[in-house]
Amino acid sequence: MSMWIGPMKKHVEGHKELTNYNEIVRLTAPKLVYIPIFNFNSTSFELFVKEGDRVLVNTKLAVRNDNMTVPLFSPVSGTIKGIQKVMHGLLKPLDHFVIENDGLYEKTEAFAPLNWQEATRQELIDFMMNAGIVGCGGAGFPTYIKYKFAKNVETLLINGVECEPYITADYRMIEENIQDLMIGTQAMLKAADGKKAMIAVKETKKELLVKLKEAAASYPSIEIKAVPDMYPMGWERTLVYQIFKKRYNKLPGEVGVVVNNATTAIAFAHALKGQPIIEKMITVSGDGIARPANVLVPVGMKAADIVEQLGGYTADEISCIAGGPMMGKTITNDQFVTTPYTNAITILKTRPIDAIECLRCGRCNDTCPAGLLPVRINNAEKAKNMDMIEKLNVNDCIECGLCTYVCPSKLDVTEGVRRAKRILALKK
Amino acid sequence: MKFTFRPSPNARNTQSTKGIMFELTLGLLAVFLFALAFYYVEYGMSYVIHALSLMATSVLVAAITEVLWCVFLKKDIKKHLSSSFPIVTSTILVLMVPISTTLYAMAFGSFFAIFFAKLLFGGFGHNIFNPAAAGRAAMLTSFAAAVTVDMTTGPTPISSIANLGWIVTDQTVLGELLAQFGGLQGLLLGWYPGALGETSALLILVIGIYLGYRKVLDWRVPVFYIGTVFALASVIALVRGLGIWYPMYHILAGGLMFGAVFMLTDPVTNPTSAAGRMIFAIGCGIITVLIRVQANLPGGVLYSILIMNMFTPTIERLTDGWQIKKAKSYAISIGTLSLTGIVLFVFIANIMIPVVPKEPEPEVPVITLGDPIGIFSPATSTATPELTNTVTDGNVVTYTVSSKGYAILEGGYEGAKPNVFEIKIDTAANKIVSVKFITFSDTKGIGDKVESAIFLDQFKDLSIDDEAISVDSVSGATITSVSAARAVRFAIETWKGE
Repeated sequence: MSMWIGPMKKHVEGHKELTNYNEIVRLTAPKLVYIPIFNFNSTSFELFVKEGDRVLVNTKLAVRNDNMTVPLFSPVSGTIKGIQKVMHGLLKPLDHFVIENDGLYEKTEAFAPLNWQEATRQELIDFMMNAGIVGCGGAGFPTYIKYKFAKNVETLLINGVECEPYITADYRMIEENIQDLMIGTQAMLKAADGKKAMIAVKETKKELLVKLKEAAASYPSIEIKAVPDMYPMGWERTLVYQIFKKRYNKLPGEVGVVVNNATTAIAFAHALKGQPIIEKMITVSGDGIARPANVLVPVGMKAADIVEQLGGYTADEISCIAGGPMMGKTITNDQFVTTPYTNAITILKTRPIDAIECLRCGRCNDTCPAGLLPVRINNAEKAKNMDMIEKLNVNDCIECGLCTYVCPSKLDVTEGVRRAKRILALKK
Repeated sequence: MKFTFRPSPNARNTQSTKGIMFELTLGLLAVFLFALAFYYVEYGMSYVIHALSLMATSVLVAAITEVLWCVFLKKDIKKHLSSSFPIVTSTILVLMVPISTTLYAMAFGSFFAIFFAKLLFGGFGHNIFNPAAAGRAAMLTSFAAAVTVDMTTGPTPISSIANLGWIVTDQTVLGELLAQFGGLQGLLLGWYPGALGETSALLILVIGIYLGYRKVLDWRVPVFYIGTVFALASVIALVRGLGIWYPMYHILAGGLMFGAVFMLTDPVTNPTSAAGRMIFAIGCGIITVLIRVQANLPGGVLYSILIMNMFTPTIERLTDGWQIKKAKSYAISIGTLSLTGIVLFVFIANIMIPVVPKEPEPEVPVITLGDPIGIFSPATSTATPELTNTVTDGNVVTYTVSSKGYAILEGGYEGAKPNVFEIKIDTAANKIVSVKFITFSDTKGIGDKVESAIFLDQFKDLSIDDEAISVDSVSGATITSVSAARAVRFAIETWKGE
């Protein structure tokens, strides 16, 4: 395949050493926390609290009420100050609950714990839904949906690859919670009714691999798999192809695989003990932050508050990215908040980019993990050739950013593909 | 605090187009240094100076053309030059020409490459044809004879095999062909005259592997190009029973290796997909071998690139789509193209005709006539010839007479035999009709001058009744001349005696 198309992946400089071995910093929740009333692509929620209500840690604030069910929980105890539009990490303004933190951290039970070994498959899936487990890899897709529709599952693939540069949150999360990862994986395997589970980690993380193999030795259904240090190895399609040499059309279920993030599996294990996702391990890294670190923060904490506790910015001109530098959106302020699916904030010093003409080298085409032709899409977009844009299958682009990354002429190739997607969507 | 916005991704690879072009230029300069070393060792400093002048001319003309373009179009000169890379084109161009090229031809080529082939198309990134190849083609057609007289070198591998019709079945001829360049090994090393940068296949190969490893160029292009040429030459070799030397000669000789590494890989004029570049390279390979063996044209590599450049947009269209879904159709296209090439060359191999190299023309002996010999003089009275045959046909009597030439001399060389003449006498008109040699036995290269019509025609129409008749002897071949006169005297006397 790579003969005709190219490698469809590339090693990307990781900069992981900035945060890999640092101590995990637990940050205290600020006076005000902001909970986005949003999940995946939906803002349709039933609200359980209103302005002036007192809430406790774990109080259910709202639940998504369209075709999927996702509850939101309070990370602090305090008073609801209202609902406010705030810039979200996905670069769009959204409604957020504003909670005034009283600093008492009075707790309530979010939901009853569950013994996964005794629970049925259906019970596990329902539990997953009511516990608000979402994909912690960055997208926040409700996890239970994957299990609800899982059929003939051969392998549950737990994704601990973490291919984005700078981010080490999953790595530290796994390292700190190896036993919970094993429990979460087994419970998910049961929920998927699968035959075996595989935990994939980059082959470069040798120490972690040793620890994982040790822990998995007592669980015959769990296999530890080392994969190459390439980007975007953490993308479902790339990972499934790497391990199983199979491609699928829409969902990995077509080839008998269910994929979940390692942190999600750990979150599920925590949920089984009665703990919803109200706290998140986040990597705050880059050359624009004084003390890069992995931080444990409550959901709903503003980036500005996190940065302040880590010594502030190192330059006057920076790019503040919600997520990693490849797929994360650049936000023009630091007022966005952490969510259950936030895994990083990357702060980089602004560097000038000297773009020149496209030299038609085709590196973007060779490395595109989706097998698209980004330079051709860009040309078609410039010519506003709709038929061509459609023929080039532009909607399969996941905006992984690799085409811009590899471009030697420093062009914004990914942005061109985004524009193509946009004008195609407008036309329809 | 200022938050800058940039669409994601915010991470960038360190490799830049400028870096790519810089590494490419270094590779080209290494090839140029090899050429300088060769000409210094084999031909001396004046050749080196001329090579450097060619380089200076090409680079300067390219730069001046770009600067003037900026001035006329009111562009920022510094910005334009740093993203237009005239040095790469002009250096490649120098490496493609022979040392004997004149400076004005070089200047013309460089200007053509930069102005017509690149700037007029919209500059770097927009040109359809490889600028260096276009410049070289323009030089070939416009200045075919623009060579400096005092820069003579030997034959090139391409011209040598082209003179033999690109097919050599005779082992002696093959031996001579290969020996000129020190065998296949010599072709690999490239220590022979040719286009400045095209001779050392080995050096170019090493640089190519390095540039491929550095991702400056896509390995697919040179590998598939050289592979195609090798495969098609092997087809010819198999069909015509030639050895492995034949495909090796094809890939080592001429501009093939240089073209494969430095010219075909020009990304601007390549298709942008991996499969497209493979199709491009295979197409170039087919056309290169086709031009070499079937067209009386130098520069098969050059023209194959220019022809395939025209197909680049078509190939792009062919490979457009979702690569994962199209992978199978890519494989089929490439397979079909390769198979077509093979079938084509099975056919072509059968119609190829080896050109037999001409034997050196024998030197025409210069014949001057000297002292006269009287037919009835005392010189012809000794050593009586022998009559070996008589034929009478009406009025014409034909005598075959054996008359000693060198054989007459005592101490003459071992086994000397007499010369045999055929003398015709018209008995009605009493005239000699003709004198011819039947067997010549004297020294070759000297005595055989007597066989010349200049000498023998003197006998024609001589009266047999006149005792004073004479012919002029051939200078330096008096003894043989006398043997002829003696034979004629003997024939006349035989006739009269009857």
